[in-house]
Amino acid sequence: MGTPAKPAPVETTMPLRGNSRTRPMAVVQASKGWLRLDLRPVWEYHGLLYFLVWRDIKVRYKQTVIGAAWAICQPLLTMMIFAVIFGRFAKIPSDNVPYPIFAFAGLLPWTYFSQSITRSGASLVSDANLIRKIYFPRLIIPASAVVAPLVDFAFSFLILLVMMAWYRVTPKWAVATLPLFVFLVVCAALGASLWLSALNVRYRDVGHAIPFLVQFWMYASPIVYPLSLIPKRWHVLYSLNPMVAVVEGFRWGLLGKESPEFASILIGSAVSLILLITGLVFFKRMERTFADIV
Amino acid sequence: MSDLAIRALQLAKQYKIGEAQHNTLRDQITAGVKSLLKRSEEKKRRKDIFWALDDVSFEIKTGEMVGIIGHNGAGKSTLLKVLSRITEPTQGRAEIHGRVGSLLEVGTGFHFELTGRENVYLYGAILGMTKAEIERKFKKIVEFSEIEQFLDTAVKHYSSGMYVRLAFAVAAHLDPEILLIDEVLSVGDLAFQRKCMEQARSLRESDATVIVVSHNMFSIKAMCDRVLYFSHGKILADGPPNEVIPLYEKDILGGAGALDTPRWAEAKLGNDPAQRPVVITDMRILDEAGAPRTVLDFGERARVRVKYEMRQSIKNLNFVIALIRSDGVACCNYSAELDGFKICDKLGEGAFEVLMPPIKLVADLYSIHVIAWDEKFQQLYGAQIGGSFHVRHKLFNGHFGVFHESAEWSYLKSADEKNQTIPSIKVKPN
Repeated sequence: MGTPAKPAPVETTMPLRGNSRTRPMAVVQASKGWLRLDLRPVWEYHGLLYFLVWRDIKVRYKQTVIGAAWAICQPLLTMMIFAVIFGRFAKIPSDNVPYPIFAFAGLLPWTYFSQSITRSGASLVSDANLIRKIYFPRLIIPASAVVAPLVDFAFSFLILLVMMAWYRVTPKWAVATLPLFVFLVVCAALGASLWLSALNVRYRDVGHAIPFLVQFWMYASPIVYPLSLIPKRWHVLYSLNPMVAVVEGFRWGLLGKESPEFASILIGSAVSLILLITGLVFFKRMERTFADIV
Repeated sequence: MSDLAIRALQLAKQYKIGEAQHNTLRDQITAGVKSLLKRSEEKKRRKDIFWALDDVSFEIKTGEMVGIIGHNGAGKSTLLKVLSRITEPTQGRAEIHGRVGSLLEVGTGFHFELTGRENVYLYGAILGMTKAEIERKFKKIVEFSEIEQFLDTAVKHYSSGMYVRLAFAVAAHLDPEILLIDEVLSVGDLAFQRKCMEQARSLRESDATVIVVSHNMFSIKAMCDRVLYFSHGKILADGPPNEVIPLYEKDILGGAGALDTPRWAEAKLGNDPAQRPVVITDMRILDEAGAPRTVLDFGERARVRVKYEMRQSIKNLNFVIALIRSDGVACCNYSAELDGFKICDKLGEGAFEVLMPPIKLVADLYSIHVIAWDEKFQQLYGAQIGGSFHVRHKLFNGHFGVFHESAEWSYLKSADEKNQTIPSIKVKPN
């Protein structure tokens, strides 16, 4: 064994009496309680996370003609459709910036979010073989489905920069907060993904509901319209949707929107965090039976 | 007390079968309504509970090679799944000392769109190797798989043999301290299987603990020094292979031994040897003097002793001893019918011996299939793999062909063809 032993214990305890060697010891037993959030094995398998993300990216554009250009085309074409229908015909206000860039700044995090939940929702079921035959922390699978679309996100971001130069939109100091909102959308996506993917293992109905959910969720978020279009008294309720905070933050950071709704951002961040934590707990709880029911 | 690798304490795993599983919300709602209407549902459900593992305790020491045998559904695979932490036990616990590698299925995790090279990395990571580790072992893995030239071809264009080779090559280099294997040795051709068994043996030399689930008693006998016999989720017997395997064979055949069925015959005869008209209960390979042998020198004569059980009276039964090389080539047959030997049609047990002519096959591993045909080789009554032996020769191998025999050589007086007298043929014994 020239290789360093890699421990991946469920629970490490002291070596037994008589067992002189210092080898990793794992205990296999039924886990108890709701609140066991041992995320150490997930970290130990981060190499696998890397390879699953890499697999997703590699496979996604195999046998396509324009390849990774699809990552750019999708939000770009959507933005054009929105610009014509909502910007030109419906004349929806756009916070005093040109409608195309207004829509694209919202579509950018939204495309990432919808990709994440669509891909991760089906992820556990499509990797059922792995789950039935090989041990690794199951969390890696939806996590990789949330990380992989970040690459598409990065490409679209470049497009946004080009558009900003074109429309001569210069961001203000608030652009420094942008990484926080990227982090926020990843948290929200991971939280929602954990819930949806684990539920989909038990109830395949979820798989059918996700496309509808994504569509509904988009219109419930200020993508094609500004937050200001929603009556003030509904703002608290409306902001329970974490994507409100994300989109608001993106427009604040990138387009220099004057007065963002800080209340909405706070509520959204709190909801994202709750979604993530409950998602982790729920996933961990369900994880035990995945191999038996997937 | 020497080093423990695994200690299982009252492990139990419960599954719900049949109606108790509700995969869609609708199913669960309808089941809920039903159980409200019918109280009897409650009783029925209790019946659907099934213990795949039932109070299983054992200890395995570091460096042991343990075979797990048992009928289908006896809990063997469930045990491996629990030990490799794929699924949690319902009750009990197991302590596992050391890095675990489990191979429950070769190639799970391969992606068909990716190339062989890419899949080595992906599969390695899935099995728990780090990137640096895979990079270090990459050359060895590729060499082992013997598919170097197809490394940059997408796996979807591979033949199933190539696919399995590559997958096993990765898995074989996992270098775990505890290796759990489920039937994977039954993949690939015999030559590759032999390579895998050698790999497993070398693992053992490095003090690794190996647990193998297999239906192939031959490989269990060849590899393991301890066997656990599972039945209905419990350990029925635990001991050395020559004590435990006969118990199992007795159980599945009711007194008769169990030898594996060649794959081609399974389609005609079914999986269950107990249902066949002729069952081969034992086969031994001996040298001329009668001593058991597994290695024969080229040119040696061997005796094959076969015990069988005739369950239907068959007239014109024709036993065939077939020698099959490790890559599946049928090299020669000895037939009772063709050699003018009558098999008596008496029901019950019988035995015969075949003294083979000096063996001319080149050095390789050969398995002996004992096949019961009718006299016209039309109707198959039974077929089992009796055992295998190596032929040893320092020169003659596959490059020399299938077999080697001396020929008669002579000089011609002149190069002119017309002036030749044909030299008289002398037959010289080898």
